Amino acid sequence: MQLPVLNDTPSPAEHGAKGGCSASSCGTTENQMDTLPDSIREKVQNHPCYSEDAHHYFARMHVAVAPACNIQCHYCNRKYDCANESRPGVVSELLTPDQAVKKTMAVAATIPQMTVLGIAGPGDPLANPERTFETFRRLSEEAPDIKLCVSTNGLALPDAVEELSKHNIDHVTITINTVDPEIGAKIYPWIFWKNKRIKGVKGAKILIEQQQKGLEMLIAKGILVKVNSVMIPGVNDEHLAEVSRVVKSKGAFLHNVMPLIAEAEHGTFYGVMGQRGPTPDELQDLQDSCSGDMNMMRHCRQCRADAVGLLGEDRGDEFTLDKIEEMDIDYQAAMEKRKVIHQAIQEEMDSKRLEKAAKAEQHKQEPKLTTRPVLMAVATSGQGVINVHFGHAKEFLIYEASPEGVRFISHRKADQYCGGDSTCGDGESVLQLTIRALAGCEVVLCSKVGYEPWEMLEAAGIAPNGEHAMEPIGEAVMAVYKEMAAAGKLDAIPEALRANA
Amino acid sequence: MAVSIIDLCVNCFACEPVCPSNAISEQKPHFMVDPKKCTECEGDFPVFQCASICPIEGAILDSFGTAINPPGSLTGIPPEKMAEAMAELQSH
Repeated sequence: MQLPVLNDTPSPAEHGAKGGCSASSCGTTENQMDTLPDSIREKVQNHPCYSEDAHHYFARMHVAVAPACNIQCHYCNRKYDCANESRPGVVSELLTPDQAVKKTMAVAATIPQMTVLGIAGPGDPLANPERTFETFRRLSEEAPDIKLCVSTNGLALPDAVEELSKHNIDHVTITINTVDPEIGAKIYPWIFWKNKRIKGVKGAKILIEQQQKGLEMLIAKGILVKVNSVMIPGVNDEHLAEVSRVVKSKGAFLHNVMPLIAEAEHGTFYGVMGQRGPTPDELQDLQDSCSGDMNMMRHCRQCRADAVGLLGEDRGDEFTLDKIEEMDIDYQAAMEKRKVIHQAIQEEMDSKRLEKAAKAEQHKQEPKLTTRPVLMAVATSGQGVINVHFGHAKEFLIYEASPEGVRFISHRKADQYCGGDSTCGDGESVLQLTIRALAGCEVVLCSKVGYEPWEMLEAAGIAPNGEHAMEPIGEAVMAVYKEMAAAGKLDAIPEALRANA
Repeated sequence: MAVSIIDLCVNCFACEPVCPSNAISEQKPHFMVDPKKCTECEGDFPVFQCASICPIEGAILDSFGTAINPPGSLTGIPPEKMAEAMAELQSH
């Protein structure tokens, strides 16, 4: 059985040049989820990780119950644990299944928009089958209104499919960085397989076979599969379009290409050996080149294995073990409340989707611009509106405005991966770091901007804009784009380029 | 004749279920091998199971006190490269 995948019937626009409109979610109208079959859309419409739209409204959490791993990846260091770090594989406290269940229910009762519980490590969830499945089993009984997800490197996946299908789990994420064992050997130094540590190409080959087999088995069971890939320049970057084609043909419904995070202080192989991560441009180009083949996910925050809250925020501190111990949770009452809130959010999302569609229809009727695309950064804390002060933004969402409409490109962290000492590293201020993170953007939209950052942004060629506070992101970005066009700030695309677009 | 786990252990649980003799248990501050139970996998496997899944170089020693996974053997990071990176970090 093969699940229908987005972009199965590519529109002519999808073959456009980069910088134009190459994704199915182009235009201010089409949400990537609108083109999904109803059965899948129903499953993902309130899943913040799977739906770009939903991630503005719904929250997720990870519980760190799975410490053991059965492989080594060159971007991972099993020794690392830092409260200031936000990246996969990092956690502060390991939980037993019982503690995880308590924590999940405490969060679900306190943050009713939390819809999804994932197990993502800090090791491999399926290399800890007892702890992982005990957590899932109890949650599907005690908190049936929570969606359960798991992510895995795939090595132990074929043996786990049967058990996964028994619980309330309808989404599995497999990290597949390659389908070529030679490339695999440059990413995975070893695997533990059948009572032996197997190194190099031989180990990578087994891992790849298990991943592909597990993927096929999940699809056959009707479980949705998302594929994560880490983009490692010079290692698998040119190969990931092939990975996208392969996993799509087998029925994965979403591909998430993430940038490598590698710093010497993380103590990882790539970090210490000076392997660089991709630039935002390189990542966007790759995502665009894969998107002709497959629905791409661009809003992933690469969160910690114990993250709590909306994507991009972490409220883990409110739910430490000693704090949840003191909470008295009436989950039946909480479920009632959650249901009402979820319905209200759904209604709001539906009405916004209709509004967006109407706006886009209107946009289509207007004379088409011939101006070049522009990247804009937006400060938001959710609800799909511009509602964060520039200085308070921990991250920015990057949108591209073009004559085709507005599309979401990525998010960028304001202060990169460290939330610690503001002057660590090479002595740049947080403000300087933030401005550097916005490279390539010509406008930043936020609810307010202070005097000092205003001047620095202008000096860096980024126009600060606080005129669209509380407005929907797509509309505001398009309005600013049109103003820029009207003011003659956007050179027309040369005729030759347009012919290829 | 027994292996031992030393304080480099990061408590990842990986070794505990693969031990054929149930010699490994969760202890504070880190997992420990019961030397009375450890058989060094003799009769069960040709290689130490705990040391074959352990991700941390130097965390498990053989009965002579030698690291079964010496520096660089698991991560592929040459020890001098690691030392360089750590020295660089400490100078900040």
